[in-house]
Amino acid sequence: MAILDQLGIDYPKIIAQIIVFGLVYLILSKYAFGPVTALLELRRSRIADGEANLDKIKENLSSSQAQAAAALEKANAEANRIVKEATDAAAAIAEAKKQDAVAEAQSIITKAKEATELERTRVMDELKRDFGRLVIDTTTKVTGKTLGSEDHARLNKEALAQIAV
Amino acid sequence: MTRLTAFFLLLFPVLASAAGGGHESGHGEAEAKHEVSAKALPLLEHSSMASWLTNSVFVAGLVTLILLWFFRSAMQRKALIPDTKQNFVELIVEFLYGQVENIVGAKIAPSAFPLLATIFIYVTVSNWFGLLPGVGTIGLSDHIGALHSTTHVATPLLRPGTADMNLTLGIALCSLLAWLFITIREMGVWGTLMHIFGPKGGLKGGLKYALMPIFFIVGLIEVISILFRPMTLSLRLYGNVFAGENLLHTMSSLVKSGNTTIDFLSSVLVPLPFYFLEIMVGVLQGMVFALLCAVFIKLSTTHDEEHDEAHAAH
Repeated sequence: MAILDQLGIDYPKIIAQIIVFGLVYLILSKYAFGPVTALLELRRSRIADGEANLDKIKENLSSSQAQAAAALEKANAEANRIVKEATDAAAAIAEAKKQDAVAEAQSIITKAKEATELERTRVMDELKRDFGRLVIDTTTKVTGKTLGSEDHARLNKEALAQIAV
Repeated sequence: MTRLTAFFLLLFPVLASAAGGGHESGHGEAEAKHEVSAKALPLLEHSSMASWLTNSVFVAGLVTLILLWFFRSAMQRKALIPDTKQNFVELIVEFLYGQVENIVGAKIAPSAFPLLATIFIYVTVSNWFGLLPGVGTIGLSDHIGALHSTTHVATPLLRPGTADMNLTLGIALCSLLAWLFITIREMGVWGTLMHIFGPKGGLKGGLKYALMPIFFIVGLIEVISILFRPMTLSLRLYGNVFAGENLLHTMSSLVKSGNTTIDFLSSVLVPLPFYFLEIMVGVLQGMVFALLCAVFIKLSTTHDEEHDEAHAAH
């Protein structure tokens, strides 16, 4: 027991020191370790949540990018189809119009030919008539005799034959 | 702040020297009087009711108040984005928690951490408190009078808490109780008894029963070693801090040339390197105490199966 006395070990003092240490333990547990560990845990969970959200956002972004790419591709295909359809339609219309125009032109040409033919026939008829009358008048004046209807018909026929040649 | 601390560290030997003065007679009795007392001294000698109030208990109370003030002010406005003080506290707590978790494991860490961290912080701050100017050098003297320079402070007002065997033994007893509580909670009473006295190494059959008496004797030795733990823990800490006090005290009054100026300068310069040593010893002893407690908890809460698996893995 001399050693205990030499070191000053005494029950009241040990109890006093244990109380002081106990107080420190309670104070630090209450005001430091508890709040700090809770705060660190909160921060850790927030960081974990943030990282999870980041992963989710990345996933959503890649999914959105894929969706956007697919939509873009679809739109491109649709646009190409529409352009092709429009081009085909335009070509068909142009062809139809061209055919119409050709037909119209043909029709105009035909009509013009018919009109020309009719005009030529009419002119030829007038010419024949005038030429026949001129031949008869000339023959009448040259021969000095009055020509009958048979002579008229024969002279007209001969004159027309000459014109045809 | 650092300059201020350095100033005080420098001032301490000066004060010690001034208190120790240049009036040494040099004879044996005076030299003997210069030794630091091995035990804490009561502040109120004539009061039997307050015999527990020693200079060491007083400093322990002061350290408690300082810790209370510091941690309260650091955590008063706790926020997710911490200020400097809160950041410092978080740094300490996170570091210590990591260390404790590495030793005792993630399961035991939440229950063991507060005690182990308290031991580390309290012991370290108490050790460093002993390095402040005035600790051990301000107090009551045999010679009291106006402008009287005394050769020795008979009863220092302040003595480091950890330089008192009562405190180190008190902490060690607390850690023993905490160890017992955590062990029984983790292993159960029967599990704890089996862990101490039971056969180990996964023995089966006849060999197990044959070796049981030996394991029982080994368990008795284990119990004795467990009972001795508080003594070894407390003596180690007390011895280091008390030795440090003595070292600084001796170094500050090492040179006795008779020349006041030389004595003054030597009392400042000679102990200076030892202050750095004591700063290191202070934190080291706190860490050793806490780590040993952690290891004791780890050893007693490790299930034999885990132990065997770990051995098998190696």
